Amino acid sequence: MKEFLKSTKIKILLSVLLVLVMLSVFTQNVGNNFVSTVINGMTAGLSSVTAAATDDGKDGLSDQELLEEYKKLKKENADLRAQLVDYYAVKSENVRLWKFYELKKQHPDFTLVPAMALRRDTNDEFSAFSLDKGSSSGVKEGDPVVSETGLIGWVSECDLNTCKVVTVLSPGTRIGAEDTKSGDTGIVTGSSKYAYRNQTVFSKLTYSNQVEVGDIITTTGVSGIYPKGLPIGEVVDLGYDTYDSSYYAVIEPYENLKKITDAAIIIGFSGQGEILIGDSGE
Amino acid sequence: MTEKTASVFRYLAYTVEIILVFVLCTTPRLLPELWGAKPCLLLCVAVTISIFEREIPSMIFGIVCGVLIDLGYSNAIGVFTVALTVLCFVIGYAANNLIRANFTNFIICSFLVTASVFMLYFLFEYVFKGYTDPWSYFTQNLISRMAQTFVCSVVFYFINRFFYRMISAEE
Repeated sequence: MKEFLKSTKIKILLSVLLVLVMLSVFTQNVGNNFVSTVINGMTAGLSSVTAAATDDGKDGLSDQELLEEYKKLKKENADLRAQLVDYYAVKSENVRLWKFYELKKQHPDFTLVPAMALRRDTNDEFSAFSLDKGSSSGVKEGDPVVSETGLIGWVSECDLNTCKVVTVLSPGTRIGAEDTKSGDTGIVTGSSKYAYRNQTVFSKLTYSNQVEVGDIITTTGVSGIYPKGLPIGEVVDLGYDTYDSSYYAVIEPYENLKKITDAAIIIGFSGQGEILIGDSGE
Repeated sequence: MTEKTASVFRYLAYTVEIILVFVLCTTPRLLPELWGAKPCLLLCVAVTISIFEREIPSMIFGIVCGVLIDLGYSNAIGVFTVALTVLCFVIGYAANNLIRANFTNFIICSFLVTASVFMLYFLFEYVFKGYTDPWSYFTQNLISRMAQTFVCSVVFYFINRFFYRMISAEE
């Protein structure tokens, strides 16, 4: 044993121990030391290969867990998509309601029911269309239909959830109207001659009328069927009807009635009156 | 095959073994974690090599394994390197001069080495550094690590015994 303790092997052990202790003290006190740099540099390549080989992107999840997470995310995605559709519907309704907000501000006595155009009547050449509100919303036959720019028609038929709108281009429409500038009164009624151009006729003008191109024609509200002061359109032409020897003005509504997408039905207003007779009042 | 040649081949085999074990230990998600810890396989390799080889080669392989263990969790040479250097040298000397290199003696040596190395690690890395509640680390992590390392060393004993018997000088 004594001989072993004096042997070369023990001296080697002690020498190596001394070096290791010194290196240990050195590396413990010097962070970025050459020993760790060399060793880590030698093993870095190996570690990166093994790390890349085992990196399957699963982040520690099993196949079953990944499948469940996928199903959960798929369902969440579907819910979010439905919410997005709903959001856009609400947003478009909000835009639509804002359009009639100004109308409501100008006429606080109006009871408005905003509606969306469902479809157009293919048999009607006067741009009749259907709205998505009916008697369940308080709509009834004869109610005026307006856009944000003015009167566009009236409710000709009504069921529980929808109603049909006849526009001011239709010959079945007869609305008492007046020229806001000259005060001349007459009847706005449609004509197949002008309907294809999105125009209607302000007829039954007197010989002494002062109507001019550019004048704004509005409702008189006398009969109680249409509110007073609703814009109908602007005079674009003047003419003389030899059939009944009367003068007339061609009016172009402010809205392209062939492209109506939403409107508002006035189900109540101050001065609302008589029962509709025939196709329309007046 | 002479003893020297056989030794060289055995050392090469041990080197490859150490590299493979190092890869096994450092590859993410390859080794399962049991009770909050993983076994220290490099320590198993160092102990099993020592039981079959002489003092100096045992010490060298102990140094290599110790450095790889230490630099796996820090940038400094620490407890594992110094402890394995001494213990592997002692086991190498004892297995060649004092005791027989059989399974029973190996179990005793492995147990002693594993316990002493991890206790030293616990002392130097937790107790002396003043960490709070080192006892909970010892019970929740270290005991499990020690037990797993001890169990795995049995597997490496048979692997290295295979190397030693297959790559030995013809008698």
